[in-house]
Amino acid sequence: MMLANYIGAVALFVIGFYAMMVKHNIIQIVIGMGLTDYGLNLMIVSIGFNEGGTAPIYTFGELTSGMYFVDPIPQALTLTSIVIGACVTAMAMALCIRLYKEYGTLDARDIRRLHG
Amino acid sequence: MNYDIYSHFPVLAVMLYFVGAFIVTLIGKRRTARNIVAGAVMLISLALLLALVGPVMLDGEIITYWMGDWEPAAGYAIGIAIEVDALSLFFGLLAAIAVALAGFYSFKYITQDDANGPFFTLFLMLSGGVMGILLSGDLFNIYVMLEVMTFAAVGLTAFRTWNPNAREAAFKYLVVGSIGSSCILLGIALVYAQCHTLNLAQISAILPGNLNPTTILAFALLFAGFGCKSFMFPFQPIAADAHGAAPSSVSVLISGVFTKTGVYGIIRVSYFLFRTMGLTSIQTMVVFIGCLSMFVCVTMALNQHDFKRLLAFHSISQIGYILTALGLCTGIGIAGGLYHAINHTLFKGLLFLVAGSVLYGTGTTYLEKLGGLARKMPQTAALFMIGALSISGIPPFNGFASKWMIYQATFEKAAETGSIGYALVTVVCVVTSVLTLASFVKVGQSVFFGQLPLEYENVRETPLSMRIPMWIMAALCVITGLFPEQMIQYVIGPASAAVLNVPAYIDSAMGAGYAALTMADYSYLAEPVISFIGFWDPVSWLVLFAIVMCAITLASLMGKRSRGAVTLADDERHAVFFGGEAAEYSHVAGADLFWGFKHNLRGYLGFMSRAHSGVTNDYVIWGVCALAVITAYCFIFI
Repeated sequence: MMLANYIGAVALFVIGFYAMMVKHNIIQIVIGMGLTDYGLNLMIVSIGFNEGGTAPIYTFGELTSGMYFVDPIPQALTLTSIVIGACVTAMAMALCIRLYKEYGTLDARDIRRLHG
Repeated sequence: MNYDIYSHFPVLAVMLYFVGAFIVTLIGKRRTARNIVAGAVMLISLALLLALVGPVMLDGEIITYWMGDWEPAAGYAIGIAIEVDALSLFFGLLAAIAVALAGFYSFKYITQDDANGPFFTLFLMLSGGVMGILLSGDLFNIYVMLEVMTFAAVGLTAFRTWNPNAREAAFKYLVVGSIGSSCILLGIALVYAQCHTLNLAQISAILPGNLNPTTILAFALLFAGFGCKSFMFPFQPIAADAHGAAPSSVSVLISGVFTKTGVYGIIRVSYFLFRTMGLTSIQTMVVFIGCLSMFVCVTMALNQHDFKRLLAFHSISQIGYILTALGLCTGIGIAGGLYHAINHTLFKGLLFLVAGSVLYGTGTTYLEKLGGLARKMPQTAALFMIGALSISGIPPFNGFASKWMIYQATFEKAAETGSIGYALVTVVCVVTSVLTLASFVKVGQSVFFGQLPLEYENVRETPLSMRIPMWIMAALCVITGLFPEQMIQYVIGPASAAVLNVPAYIDSAMGAGYAALTMADYSYLAEPVISFIGFWDPVSWLVLFAIVMCAITLASLMGKRSRGAVTLADDERHAVFFGGEAAEYSHVAGADLFWGFKHNLRGYLGFMSRAHSGVTNDYVIWGVCALAVITAYCFIFI
């Protein structure tokens, strides 16, 4: 079951990079950045998963050494990473709007005043 | 002596910037109050880090601070650490100095901008992010701070509403920079999967010697990610775009501080976490990338027509020197690389501030439009000369001291390994230095000398509040160049010893004896010995320099020719081709200065110029290719 997660994560990561490399529409580039992020989040959550583990929520008295639960740290990391990813997308979209206003196009091949 | 009081300083230094950013937002449009808060924050943080110099640099103490007092239990680091050794403090101090000088410069400089309220919010967030990366002892914290820093930097790049290129540069920066961030996050996830900890010290104890395919992939990803943040070779176009569009005081931070976090990350990853720098193959890779960055960027700089874009390419070229020196993995190589890191921040910062002053005075940084400004801005011209001589490695300025160490390090490495490759590296270093000088001759000629265009008759000298930070930077350039022995003894020596002394770093965080228990091999990667070959005395160079300058001044004062007017002899031979009218003086444009040289290399230069096409997709392809090549290389040769 975990193998499917890893394959899915890598696939999302690769599709994201593919979109950033090949798609000329800057909105599609931003979507590619988002896909890369989702792949990463899936990867991190999968790393912390233990087959058959329970949710890592306990009070002090309940916790004994025989308990079996999933690793909570990757979940915390994923939350942080999701927030950062949302910010990146929002900021990139804001820049896209400004670029469209200034250049009148969304084609990355035409947005190249800075070159050489 | 008790060091407990000092353990709170690093976390305060990081927090102050963020608190300052928040307060500055609340203050809003009241300029004086805003400047006081921002200035106080920058100075207090600098003072806090300076207070750490005594215990960390001189006494060799490593300061560890556990957030919320969650100390390691049963050999596992469960809390988040802030760990300051000599290496962290070295980069941290450098950042704090650059931030303070650039900040004080901005008070006056950004009054030209229409939206200068949010400037200091972003500026302080960028500084806080940088400081967080440099002082943190936790891998995920480094990632979060990296993102904070990148956001603030992208925001500041897009900041100038009147600059038509700013949004384009910011977008490219965000997209290509996100490759680096993604790589770093994936690398961190893989490291966590292997070690089940995020603490730098504990990872450095567990990982080395346990290299398997997962950790090799993690190393390649982390290396490429931090390389992206330092704008090494295939990532250099975004640096050029961002520098050209951002306000100059922000360029100082992006070039002097932001790229240093990339270099710092590469040091932490390859000397501490994985200790792969001991392998010959990784040394070769880092030196190769360094040489490529050095040479490609300096030749790109020859092509440029914009002052700040030219400086941006030179900045990456100097980062190439630092990477090359660090990749040698010898005592003097590391010391030379760190020394060059200081010098790079100082002279590059000075040059960017000079470019900012030119922009402030004239409203343009386009080289062909400028000329003869030395008459109107004599102090700015003098500051430019100090910066240009420093970056080109002319004794007695600081660039010479560090470049000399790098030449020696590469040459000794060639002798040690008997490989012709490292001797070629020395040649590339020297050639790059020559091309740097050539390029700054061009800038000086087209901005400060020659004839003054009519529209700049009313240009005034830079305001005093902007000149003071520049003079401080220039003074630091001269001081670090004049006293290399003291610099090495008190600053570079401790920092480069800390790079090699991994067990002390681990023991300080995890408790004494932890390294000896967990690490299979904790010998030094290289002997931290710094010895010079040859003899040179910077002070006598300074005296010689002063004498030559006096002689030139005397000669030009004794001459009868009036300043400013250029008289040309009547040239009878050519009179027949014109109508007999008086010949006109024409300024040799900067681009024409090395015409012959550029003409002979037109194939290469044209190719490079076309390759920097400005299309976002192309830069992403370069970045992903670099990632793929680095990953493949690591799998084949580790």
